[in-house]
Amino acid sequence: MKPIKILCVCGSGTVSSAMAAQKLTEKLGEHGYEVHATECSPTSAETALAAGGFSLMACVSPVYQDFGIPKVNAVGLLTGFGEDKVIEDCLQILGGDAE
Amino acid sequence: MEAVHKELVLYGVEAEDANEAIDKVGNVLYTNGYVRETYVPAVKEREVDYPTGLQLNTYGVAMPHTAGVHVNTPAICVAKLAKPVIFGHMGEPERKVEARILFMMAIKDPNKQLEMLQSMMGVFTNDEAMLEFDAAKDEQELYEVAAKYLNS
Repeated sequence: MKPIKILCVCGSGTVSSAMAAQKLTEKLGEHGYEVHATECSPTSAETALAAGGFSLMACVSPVYQDFGIPKVNAVGLLTGFGEDKVIEDCLQILGGDAE
Repeated sequence: MEAVHKELVLYGVEAEDANEAIDKVGNVLYTNGYVRETYVPAVKEREVDYPTGLQLNTYGVAMPHTAGVHVNTPAICVAKLAKPVIFGHMGEPERKVEARILFMMAIKDPNKQLEMLQSMMGVFTNDEAMLEFDAAKDEQELYEVAAKYLNS
């Protein structure tokens, strides 16, 4: 399993980001990734990213600012609508399945 | 864990808009002691910037919630509205959703209430479960469906 860090962003930095993190851990795990998720709100994203090493941001709230880290709209993880697309987007950024 | 409590299952809640729905449903969480008096104002404020409507495969719902500091005891309040009200869509505030059911979440620490969040997500993506919620014709039926799917 290849360890990766993902920043999950939602309005209060708690509930929906935790849901997204849970789903990403499960789904990306099937592709060989060991997901270490950090949850935050859009206003605390900059501080959270300062820890470094994040491969992508999974957003269930709009994040307009560019932090130089690829962003994925992760709302589909909650609705089930386009869940596969969210995972595909993540895998594209990560460079496909981990060895 | 018992996430669903009988006094937190509401059927036929009359509301003209999202704010009124949050007021009425949130007040039930408050009067039963699950949340602090700051919970409802905090949920409404959050909903403006970060809406919680979700257009599911079956129909629209909303999952209003806020930070754990406003919560006393974790719970989910399931409220079927007399008629749908408009919520903004999560992640896309411009998009509107007609929410038929409110799953109002009182979450204290998401890492400790992961099971509750997981079962909630499992239901959203389970068409059969959502249709059962929609088919419930009174409070008792709604409670049975909610307990079946949300109590782990």
